[in-house]
Amino acid sequence: MEQVFANGLYLGAQYALIALGLTLIFALMNVLNFAHGQMYVLGGFITYTVYARLGLPFVVALFASGVTLATVGALIEKFLFRPVIRRSVREESTMLLAAAIAFLLDALILLLFGEKQRGVPKIVKGVFTSDALIMPYDRILVGILAIAFIAAFVLFMQYSKPGRAMRALAQDRVAAQLMGVRVDRYSMIGFALGAMLAGVVGGLLVAITGISSGIGGPISIKAFMMVMIGGAGVVGGAIAGGFILGMLESVGLSALHDYGDITYLVIFAALMVFLSLRPNGLMGKPWG
Amino acid sequence: MTPLLAFSDVELYYDHVYALKGVTLEVHEGETVALIGANGAGKSSILRAITGLKRVKAGEIHFAGRRIDGLDPDEIVRMGLAMVPEGRRVFPYMSVKDNLLMGAFTRSDKAGIDLTLEMVLSRFPRLKERYSQTAGTMSGGEQQMLVISRALMAKPRLLLLDEPSLGIAPKLVQDIARSIVAINRDEKVSVLLVEQNSRMALRISQRAYALTTGSVALSGRSAELLDDERVKQLYLGGEL
Repeated sequence: MEQVFANGLYLGAQYALIALGLTLIFALMNVLNFAHGQMYVLGGFITYTVYARLGLPFVVALFASGVTLATVGALIEKFLFRPVIRRSVREESTMLLAAAIAFLLDALILLLFGEKQRGVPKIVKGVFTSDALIMPYDRILVGILAIAFIAAFVLFMQYSKPGRAMRALAQDRVAAQLMGVRVDRYSMIGFALGAMLAGVVGGLLVAITGISSGIGGPISIKAFMMVMIGGAGVVGGAIAGGFILGMLESVGLSALHDYGDITYLVIFAALMVFLSLRPNGLMGKPWG
Repeated sequence: MTPLLAFSDVELYYDHVYALKGVTLEVHEGETVALIGANGAGKSSILRAITGLKRVKAGEIHFAGRRIDGLDPDEIVRMGLAMVPEGRRVFPYMSVKDNLLMGAFTRSDKAGIDLTLEMVLSRFPRLKERYSQTAGTMSGGEQQMLVISRALMAKPRLLLLDEPSLGIAPKLVQDIARSIVAINRDEKVSVLLVEQNSRMALRISQRAYALTTGSVALSGRSAELLDDERVKQLYLGGEL
């Protein structure tokens, strides 16, 4: 029991970080970023390259993933989403653009890093064992790091001036403009931040589960599921959705083990029932 | 003396329908000027043109000696102009405190911001009581106090108010009218007030412009307009 809970918590923290980035981009720009999973994969491969191939410390590799993805996110916003949003009258245009970016990143990742599953040397050795719990130290460390990033992100959004400006923009675009907030600049900052979070989680998880070029799509799907569970555009919803999905996955893997690989089948079915009862998720309101 | 705000021959269109055709008006330093007129007469379009939310098609707008039509809203706001939008538009999921801090977004003088914060909280003690409350849960009147305070947090030279009495309990309309007079007098802020409640607007302003279908029909000293037969008929709804 404790084991299942600890696994769910560890997984949920990673998921919550992914969902936070996705929901931030949605709240600020009304863009569904279908390329979120690919950004995660790119972050994973950058950490792999810097840590495993170049032999630099893991922290440096994680930092490189974050900075690279923030840059990629900023460029994508400035040169792709911004002109499309400015000129397009239909909202679907941004969705199609996001899907195209997902395919583009998939192809680029395959070209740059190949199709092999990649892993890295353990970041810390050893396993924590007690009567109820067996947990490798590297998982514990990665879990703690993810929770620290969530806390830092929430504090940044709540108490910093740029964080306040982004919340304002998400809640009332025109009123925020009248306060002197530059929509362009803060959309770019928000997109960069969202992409950075995806990249950092990719970097964190490469240390545990490795990375391969094909998992961008499935990660995006999970991210969308979390946002559906919690409610789109809400910080609390993203965190709740992440932890709930992590917990469901952990419980499912242990409880449904005897019936084969059906955990996600059950989760999908449950999600459909849930959404038909609560289409806006647990806390469907704009950024709070 | 050059006016603080000047419109000359401004035209503004929504798609192909005109909202303003050749509006000329001015607001001088220290004045409270009212814009009255029926729904759709173009009052709000004037404010949207000033703040850059809507581009004008022809004519010029000058503020504090600089031409501002064509600039982005954030640039215009930085020049010392603050607007209280129609329908209040608080940031509903933010605390009163965060709403007020957003008002000071363009400022970075910490000490000055604290002083302005003290000023608005002593002017509207209700906001002090509700300081940590989520803005969206407050009453309409309280939200109106909040958005006026939020605009004052920018320390503007000109305050634009779009229908501050709309949807507010009649008793509170009096309070808000009094606040506008006090702000104009004590804080040396010039005010451009758009109102459907023409009587209130004419009582608290020094000058006024009456609009009909996109152009200025009448203008003059508010006290005189209040007694003008045409104004009475067209804008004050008669004395029925």
